[in-house]
Amino acid sequence: MWLWYDWRAAAVADDRGNILDIDEWSGWGDLDRLCARLDMVSHQAITPEVEVLLSRFPDAQVRIHGDPDLPDADWPLPSIEALQCLDKAAILISKRGVDAAAGDPDRRLEHILRASDELRAAYITIEGRLVEWVGLFLPEARFEQDRAGLAASVVDSNNLEELAQVLEIGMPERGPTDMEWDSLADWATSVCEIKNRLETMEEVVRELGANHLPSLSALLGPILASRLCVEAHGRARLARLPAGTMQILGAEKAFFNHLKTGAPPPKHGHIFMHPWVSRSPRWIRGKISRMLAAKATIAVRCDEFGGQLWDEEAIAVIADKVEFIREEYPYPPQR
Amino acid sequence: MGRKRRLSWAVLVDGRSIWTRNACPKVSQYGESLRRFQGVEHRRWDPTRSKLGAALARARHTQYDLLPDEGSTCLYLGAGHGTSLSHIHDQVCGTDNQLAGRIIAVDLSPRCLRDLIHMAKIRPGLVPILGDARKFSTWGVMVSTKVDWLFQDVSQAGQAEIFIDAANRFLKPGGKGLLSLKAASERWSGEGERVVFEGVAQQLLDAGFTIEEQINLHGLEDNHCLFYITN
Repeated sequence: MWLWYDWRAAAVADDRGNILDIDEWSGWGDLDRLCARLDMVSHQAITPEVEVLLSRFPDAQVRIHGDPDLPDADWPLPSIEALQCLDKAAILISKRGVDAAAGDPDRRLEHILRASDELRAAYITIEGRLVEWVGLFLPEARFEQDRAGLAASVVDSNNLEELAQVLEIGMPERGPTDMEWDSLADWATSVCEIKNRLETMEEVVRELGANHLPSLSALLGPILASRLCVEAHGRARLARLPAGTMQILGAEKAFFNHLKTGAPPPKHGHIFMHPWVSRSPRWIRGKISRMLAAKATIAVRCDEFGGQLWDEEAIAVIADKVEFIREEYPYPPQR
Repeated sequence: MGRKRRLSWAVLVDGRSIWTRNACPKVSQYGESLRRFQGVEHRRWDPTRSKLGAALARARHTQYDLLPDEGSTCLYLGAGHGTSLSHIHDQVCGTDNQLAGRIIAVDLSPRCLRDLIHMAKIRPGLVPILGDARKFSTWGVMVSTKVDWLFQDVSQAGQAEIFIDAANRFLKPGGKGLLSLKAASERWSGEGERVVFEGVAQQLLDAGFTIEEQINLHGLEDNHCLFYITN
């Protein structure tokens, strides 16, 4: 004996497909109740109609509509009106699903991080042009000490002479026309603006990253943690990566070149940005990044699967370990 | 002006290009060109952007059978941004769903669903569903009846298995099933795409389907092959 059900009705039939009993739900006119009902069925919960029929036919085997076990029978399929309501509810459920995607921190992190990367790339180009531009008119000026302050000084000056005074250098014979100087000052204004915007944006990345990946952020810093998360297409996937993949995440080109041509494999990907790796001598970077990647996989698993979050103490243990590796290999290996 | 012929009430072939009668006049769904034929606006079906369009362009003897009948119920797995889907809608539903067709479009990506939901607003009869094409249990409840026409384009490993399961579960006896197979998504044995296609064809035959035509989309959509089956 079989108990068939779908979102709207349930029915009992014997093995030859003769319908013995039917119980139908008539509340499908209400869109919200219908959505709740569909949600229930799609999570494999049984409907009240099934319970009613099950109390009458306790030995019937329960199968959802479309199951291959069910015999052919004249099951009480929904009417055209019910199907139209179903379509409306299905669209509403999809809409809710799409709305829920906005709450997904992985996607939000991806947009803000990529945006700040793009902004940084733009900043580097236009800031470089500003330095060259000013350097053309003031060949004596040197910006090594206070490169960051240059844009602000240009904005504050009304002409080249004032700028030369601020920079404490002499005026050259030839200078820009007034219009040209205005354009240069405009350019400096946008350098300042982009810099401010970039700082705000990176602050947001830090905040989002630290909330989404607390342990990994404590270990690697929120920006690097976010970058790894975005590179792995989400925290859930990052948490399932082996440490070896974590280590070379961001060095895909070098890695596939290694597989293809047998060139030496990359020792580090994005993880190189961490000062423990980049500020270590060349010959132990591989060792440290390997150890750090292994720790990072544990940290991100704590974040993803609700483990105990890492505190200062746990990080200090790893810092000691880095120190230990540095002390153990003070000299480059002999060839 | 090339030689014109009709594939169905809504689909017109003019020389080499394919056009469908626009169900939402003046709206170009994905930047395709619009043109009037005998006073009725048609949308151009770009075969390089739609695998179904490519299959129509390449089919040898099933060109008239590939498309679903007007007013039928269709299931589209892996709908993407709805390029092919909009043309299917022109054929199956028509303006304001005058033909009472029903197209259920399943896709996994919220980004794609955003576009599909927008499309469903102006194209009644279209039902976008957010779900994984492999996991019928999560969205199968919304496909209450069996369908006349099943199309699958999911580009992930095990495409043939998903298609066979879906066809057994959702396709009416006598229905049409179309599987767009991307060879690069399957495990690569190193012997080329032809071997992959042959393996899938055998799988479909073993599952008890009849392969009406195997259409190679080479040139329009590389490494792709479209299987047209009936059960």
